Amino acid sequence: MGALDGLMQGFQVAFSLQGIMFVLIGVVTGTLIGMMPGLGPISAIAIMIPVTYGMDPSTALVMMAGVYYGAVFGGSTSSILLNAPGISGTVATAFDGYPMAQRGEAGKALAIAAISSFTGGTVSVVLLMLFAPALAQVAVSFGPPQYFALMFLGLTAISSLSEGSTIKALISATLGFIAATIGMDAQTGTTRFTFGTPNLIEGIDFLVIALGLFAIAEVCFLIINRKDKSLSKQSDIGNLKLSKEDLKEMKGPMTRQSFLGFILGVLPGAGATIASFIGYITEKRIAKKPEEFGKGSVRGVAAPETANNAATSGAFVPLLSLGIPGSGTTAVMLGAFLVLGIQPGPLLVQDRPEVFWGIIASMYIGNVFLLILNLPLIPYIAKILKISRPMLISLVIIFSLIGVYSISFSTFDLYLLLIFGVIGYLMRLFSFPAAPFILAFILGGMMEQALRQALTASGGNLAILVSDPISISLLIVSALSFVVPLIRIRKKDVTQD
Amino acid sequence: MYNLINFMWFIFLLPLKQNILKTVTKPFLSFTMKLMKDYNLKGRDIYMKKLWMMAILSLLVFVVACGDQSADSEADSGEGGGDWEPEQNIEIVAPSGAGGGWDTTARSVGKIMEEEGIVDTDIGVVNKPGGGGAVGWSYINSTNDPHNLFVSSPPLIFVPLNGQSDLSYEDFTPLSNMIADYGAFAVSEDAEWDNLNDLFDDMKEDPSSVTVVGASSPGSMDHMQFVKIAKAAGVDIQEIKYVSEQEGGALTQILNGSADVYSTGVAETVEQVKAGKIKVLGVTSEERLDGDVLSDFETAKEQGIDASFVNWRGFFGPKDMDPAAVAYYEEKFKEVSDSDKFAELRDQYGWDEMYMNSEEYQEFLKEQNDELGSLLEELGLGQ
Repeated sequence: MGALDGLMQGFQVAFSLQGIMFVLIGVVTGTLIGMMPGLGPISAIAIMIPVTYGMDPSTALVMMAGVYYGAVFGGSTSSILLNAPGISGTVATAFDGYPMAQRGEAGKALAIAAISSFTGGTVSVVLLMLFAPALAQVAVSFGPPQYFALMFLGLTAISSLSEGSTIKALISATLGFIAATIGMDAQTGTTRFTFGTPNLIEGIDFLVIALGLFAIAEVCFLIINRKDKSLSKQSDIGNLKLSKEDLKEMKGPMTRQSFLGFILGVLPGAGATIASFIGYITEKRIAKKPEEFGKGSVRGVAAPETANNAATSGAFVPLLSLGIPGSGTTAVMLGAFLVLGIQPGPLLVQDRPEVFWGIIASMYIGNVFLLILNLPLIPYIAKILKISRPMLISLVIIFSLIGVYSISFSTFDLYLLLIFGVIGYLMRLFSFPAAPFILAFILGGMMEQALRQALTASGGNLAILVSDPISISLLIVSALSFVVPLIRIRKKDVTQD
Repeated sequence: MYNLINFMWFIFLLPLKQNILKTVTKPFLSFTMKLMKDYNLKGRDIYMKKLWMMAILSLLVFVVACGDQSADSEADSGEGGGDWEPEQNIEIVAPSGAGGGWDTTARSVGKIMEEEGIVDTDIGVVNKPGGGGAVGWSYINSTNDPHNLFVSSPPLIFVPLNGQSDLSYEDFTPLSNMIADYGAFAVSEDAEWDNLNDLFDDMKEDPSSVTVVGASSPGSMDHMQFVKIAKAAGVDIQEIKYVSEQEGGALTQILNGSADVYSTGVAETVEQVKAGKIKVLGVTSEERLDGDVLSDFETAKEQGIDASFVNWRGFFGPKDMDPAAVAYYEEKFKEVSDSDKFAELRDQYGWDEMYMNSEEYQEFLKEQNDELGSLLEELGLGQ
């Protein structure tokens, strides 16, 4: 009875005039900030914290939550239109979204992203509402060995992200691993590859690498090939309407990834990034035409977009029911809670049910708002591509610089951004894929920490990595994802012969 | 300011050739064209009016752009007098991201200074994350302006001792210490230990049977507060297994049994203890703490282990500050520390009052540095 009462109370908060208004303010601000290349939910929440001073806590938090998932919702825009992912969760969206926009179907890509984000968001809110308190157990079920296995599974994606040469993909991934080791090693406190500068002690921020390898490299490419007429088609927006086939294509990925993304989001540390990557590769693996992926596939946009939005709601499980922030973004969210005098934790649902359930209930409205706001706006947003090429390129550069500068207000990061831009351009010139680099960079750091934490605890005994059902099954799935494609290829060869 | 100028230059220097120039100048050109058209159509008056508006606008822009610089140059001329007053806005650097302990302290102290009228100038809090504080410290060191202060705590001792920063506490002027916070050692609710002695008895037998987890890297706060207490209890500190979990998953590791002991700040444990998920074996304060759950935590001293650890937090300025400026800040920080607003804040966050003036603070830091330095050396971590 208690939970139901609480839920009713939550809906009262969310559906009050004030609640609806602040959800609206939250999601609008969130999407707008999220759409800027380089600015993601962390900046969006940080910008909004001062606004909440003195507000009623439940209303304020409803708004902050709106800012958070609004920013994730809007984050796909810059990935699709400009190949400039603002947050790690939308890197995978760029794989197929940007080719689609280049093909002159930007409107369609944005519509797919909006609809799958909405689906992922809504389905996961239902799951959140039904299982939030119960899922708290799931959130803490992953220790270092399980995380190691999960990251390992994520890394198997490298083989499926390679276009053409697998060797080149592996070289690219190795470079990503090397970049991930830069900075202070958490387990010993030793600084690695910092060349004596304090600027590198914290390592390289994800955004520097993502914007460098994707946005700046793309800009270099466009400037250098500016006389190439075949690239000019990009300014077409294309038809917004999705055909019946498109919707049919999307159905599968959206259903599967809503659940998978949510569960991965519940795990602290995994979050939207891993959810979107794993979503992308599972869909590629089970697709009938995997060769379409990477070239502007409908499923390739729908899968990561559903997964990252579902994971965003999932991330509220450990935050609300345990007081554990699962990612940098939820850590800032936690800060926002504390500023308002609310301590998220196991007692929140009893002590402040109106806050706990208010946030969850408001997500329903928030997601509907996002869909209603975004769909009609797509033609206008996509008009960005109609801006003349020189202006667009300058804008991308300026936004990338602002985004990187706002991480820690250091000019050092700007030089790093340029270096990675050049690296990205050279990689592209010699057809090394950038996706394995960024995947290895994101997962490599976490995987190394998880492995070493596990081994410290076990005193160096490797058996800890296969000591429980979760990690064993994750490792088996990883092994299968290596072996199955090989068998498939073998079979194909045999039948072709 | 310095960074902002740098940033602007960076944008200007981009080799974008004429494209960007064209896009920037285009609106101005079209505006002028329109003006000329107006002149022909509507006569000279309107033209003059618009011209005046443009002149005033550009003057305004110019004044705003120069405002900051003139403030900078005034600051240089004002040093060295008997009495010292800030001549521009005071900037407090929190050498970490938004939301952490340093950030909270800096923002709340700044807010009280402004709201209570303790300081007449505006106070801005700037986050300079990176290097466990090292980036913020090198910023203060390079600007060397008595209007730029920073907030710090034991990492100012640990980070240089671990060889992660060339700047140490000796490169700055301690102004005032404000508060004390304490560490807590927590275990899962169903753990076999009920107090620190149970735990340390097991660890004396086999130190590697217990895994300690904390949010800081080895040789920094969460690790060393545990080492300090464990050493006093007679544990072989070189054998202690410490896992660093910096992504916020330390508590998770306690709840799922991946690690045994959680070394953290007292405030972080309260909610989980209330919910019955973890129990606190001991805290590092000298005396019992106040507060509804806090007062149930036994100190290490009460359990017969003669050691304590303070997470002090205070404010620093650049090296070789004008003594008059030091005196000025001492007085202002003392006023904050004595205010009711700050007392309220201390209660809210569970901090203790621990005011020290510049001289006491300097002495205290030296003691801390010697003591923790020898402990790190024993662990083989110090440099």
